[in-house]
Amino acid sequence: MNTSVTVGQPGSSSVEPSRQAGGAPLHRRLARSPALRVAGRRLLIAIPVLWGVTFLTFVVLNALPGDAASALLGANATPQEVRALSIKLHLNEPLLVRYGHWLGAALHGDLGTSLYYNQSVTSILWQRLPVTIELVVYALVITFVVSVPLAVVSARRPRGGIDRTSMALSMGGLSIAPYVLALLLILVFAVDLRWLPALAQGTGGDIRDLTLPAITLAIPLIGFYTRFLRADLLEQMQSEDYTVTALAKGLSRGQVLTRHALRNSAIGLITVIGLNLATLIGATVIVEQIFGLSGIGSQLLKAINNRDVPLVEGIVLVFATIVVLANLGTDLLYDVLDPRIRHGRSRS
Amino acid sequence: MAGSLGQRAGCPTATSAGASGAGGAGPGSRPGAALLDVSDLRVQFRSRGGVVNAVQGVSFTVEPGRTLAIIGESGSGKTVSAYAVLGLLPRTAQVSGSIRFDGIELVGRRERDLRDHRGRNAAMVFQNPERSLNPTMRIGTQITEAIRCHLPLGRAEAHERAVELLRMVRLPAPERRFYEYPHQLSGGMRQRVVIAIALACEPRLLIADEATTALDVTTQAQIMDLLLGLQQELGTALVMISHDLALAASYAEEVLVMYAGRVVERAAAGDLFGSVRMPYTRALLNAIPRVELEPHVLLPVIGGRPPDLSTIGPGCSFAPRCPDAQQDCRLQSPPLKQHEFGHWWACWHPCGKGDVQ
Amino acid sequence: MAVPVADALSLAPPAGDIAAAGRLSPARRLMRSLEVAVPAAVLALLLFFCFIWPLVYPVPPPVGGSILDSGLPLWSPGHIFGTDTVGNDIMSRILYGGRVSFEVAAAVQVIGLAVGGLLGLIAGYHGGTLEAVLMRVLDVFIAFPSLVLVLAIVDSLGQSEVNVIWALTAFSIPAFARVTRAATLRLRDQPFVVAARLSSVKTWRILFGHIVPNVAPQMLTFSLLGAGVVIILEGALDFLGYGIPDPTASWGKMIASGQAMLSVSPSLVIVPSIFLFVTVVCLNMLGDGLRALWGVR
Repeated sequence: MNTSVTVGQPGSSSVEPSRQAGGAPLHRRLARSPALRVAGRRLLIAIPVLWGVTFLTFVVLNALPGDAASALLGANATPQEVRALSIKLHLNEPLLVRYGHWLGAALHGDLGTSLYYNQSVTSILWQRLPVTIELVVYALVITFVVSVPLAVVSARRPRGGIDRTSMALSMGGLSIAPYVLALLLILVFAVDLRWLPALAQGTGGDIRDLTLPAITLAIPLIGFYTRFLRADLLEQMQSEDYTVTALAKGLSRGQVLTRHALRNSAIGLITVIGLNLATLIGATVIVEQIFGLSGIGSQLLKAINNRDVPLVEGIVLVFATIVVLANLGTDLLYDVLDPRIRHGRSRS
Repeated sequence: MAGSLGQRAGCPTATSAGASGAGGAGPGSRPGAALLDVSDLRVQFRSRGGVVNAVQGVSFTVEPGRTLAIIGESGSGKTVSAYAVLGLLPRTAQVSGSIRFDGIELVGRRERDLRDHRGRNAAMVFQNPERSLNPTMRIGTQITEAIRCHLPLGRAEAHERAVELLRMVRLPAPERRFYEYPHQLSGGMRQRVVIAIALACEPRLLIADEATTALDVTTQAQIMDLLLGLQQELGTALVMISHDLALAASYAEEVLVMYAGRVVERAAAGDLFGSVRMPYTRALLNAIPRVELEPHVLLPVIGGRPPDLSTIGPGCSFAPRCPDAQQDCRLQSPPLKQHEFGHWWACWHPCGKGDVQ
Repeated sequence: MAVPVADALSLAPPAGDIAAAGRLSPARRLMRSLEVAVPAAVLALLLFFCFIWPLVYPVPPPVGGSILDSGLPLWSPGHIFGTDTVGNDIMSRILYGGRVSFEVAAAVQVIGLAVGGLLGLIAGYHGGTLEAVLMRVLDVFIAFPSLVLVLAIVDSLGQSEVNVIWALTAFSIPAFARVTRAATLRLRDQPFVVAARLSSVKTWRILFGHIVPNVAPQMLTFSLLGAGVVIILEGALDFLGYGIPDPTASWGKMIASGQAMLSVSPSLVIVPSIFLFVTVVCLNMLGDGLRALWGVR
């Protein structure tokens, strides 16, 4: 440690805390902030990733047999009609040229026109994105409302009754396939009990329509996060000294868990969310399909079927951007929430 | 239980420098009555190989305002005993015997009662200041948490008291420190904070478990002086747990030596170092490097290792390593008895009088 | 689809979840080994029934059933699980569908381990531009919703079991690479590895003699946990109609076709779902149990 004291003067030291409070104006402090610099660097790295995703999509899509023209015209079209439409849609040009066109336009904010619907991709996205976002947010809310308290209660008495039950249920929850879960939920709640609709009634956004799908998405997440959080909390209770200090103050185990351990676990939890987001989005594709929700997940499937390249690219771009931004965001949040990093020290 | 020091006429008083316990009894206790009375404490942990006997029948008392040092190697059971006094042992531990605080029995108490006791009657200062504080919580909050756990103070009052505590532990700029995080402080400063937390509710007993081991020597001295000073101011009894005999010599009034879960010697500091009886204690003393020794001489270390606590043999647990061990030592474990006034030991063949080389 | 075990994040209770004295009582050790033994036994049973039983016992064929037999309920004589809408015996479709699931999962994980593991090992050990480039490429694959990627690949390659396997490796290889790289990084600066490097031990020797044995337990548990995810993903593909082509049976397809009859004869969905669930749970429990037993992360 870095004390240098003169004997006989207890308490005085020439140690400088790592940062002075107050002082330089905000914007200058932000510019010097290491967290922001790191964020900026990560953003720069994210761009090639996004580019890579779109390029990969383009390549894969173009390897698909069939094309938008035949999809549009249907099975009865003559080859000439198909060819004519292809030329009209620029589908006969080489891959790189087409990609170049798309990329150029995209960088200007123009995502092109859907080959199938003849609508601008942006407008389609605008219509359908809110449904998916609501679904995902709803699912995440349910997840945290359930898994955080459950993990705390389980960690309070390890290997107790509640702990064993919740761990068993969690294991089950994360082992169920979303499509299986969806159908079972429909069977129980929509068919037998008739509490909630099986297929979406409105155009989306209706809470009742979103509830079963959100639960479907939430259950595997609850399983995962409860186990993860419980493990992290217990780790702190067992091997960290500050939890013992807290207990020695006279706090109950539950209080130590919620006031001390949870704060530190939250930081790790956020990182995990970012990592799992891609999977969550993938799951929405199937869930929207089964429940008949008009979000961009179900749209993606249809678009792939129709070989509707611009639309697929648009949706994939949105997905990838969400994932990349979410990961970036969680990294940033991590840096902000951990006071050790905030004040300029490297992560311990 | 008899054996309190300095309270009876004609008894040799502690002569070690630097120690000056307040000696006054805390409010509500009768003069001469022990604050802490540990009697035949036994702690067992269940394990794969059987049972680990961490503590095997430990007894001692602490008077209000006095300083006791508990010395021992790792695994001697000193920390486990301390945790038992605070009621901090996990539920997997089986505790038997008696721990009386101010006359109230702690063993077998409900968790709720133990929580009232912890932090309020007795508090602890831990070894690693780096790790004892929550890194993501401000220092001030960690102190006010301790305060409001037991005292019915509002936020503002708790804040004031916390700053007051920081001032008491001689932390410079306490108002500012309140809002800082642990990593912004040095090790010595962090330890002061931990002391502040421990003293938040003015406990009558403070246990310092290797509180200065992780600090450099100069800081160590400062912290010890601080603790002693606070002890005088507040009338708190202090139990120092350490493996450092020199520290005990400088600061404690009474010293307890533990080995393999038992107390093997106990005396006032002056008596212990002046006329050591247990071969183990003597060996510990001899192992302290001294300036008078010739250079390049092998330090006398104690051969062998501490015993496995899951197996209790019949004889004295130190016998395998004791240079003076004899046949009866291996056959029967010597009991701890007050062979001389104010000086207990557990040995069949103790060292002669004045036997410090 | 199901939440994958990203990186080395722990699903299991920490291995240090034991009494303060630091050792396990006999009862707990038994529990721990049960956590491994029971799912392993169940999986072995399933494997037996899917692969060996039809060779020994005359099981009705999974395809080509007569329409006269269709729609039989559970526990009908000769058809324990009943028949589906075109008269195929469900029990036999379960067994043959199980074959598909296990084959695909095994193949995908083995390829993922071999290719992805090697990539991650090299990237983690050498670092530098190689690692940076590899990581960015992996990021691309990981940012892609796995289902979409796999779907598109199958669609372009054509539907067959082999193509499904190839498509799924696009998901498993990056996952393995990521985990292996993280594990290698952790080991790389350990004293014993540094010592080997300094003693001019050949790189491949260090990699296979020191690093691989140390990451092997972690890789094994990751494989098991990932196998469950692969089975679910494969089922998802079948469910959407993109996976195994007709008429081969597969659990996902059975669930998909049972969807239409959900309210009338739910057993068409429930039976394959149960088998799917049990298989994945056992894989997860096995992975978890081994992890706890070996004290792996």
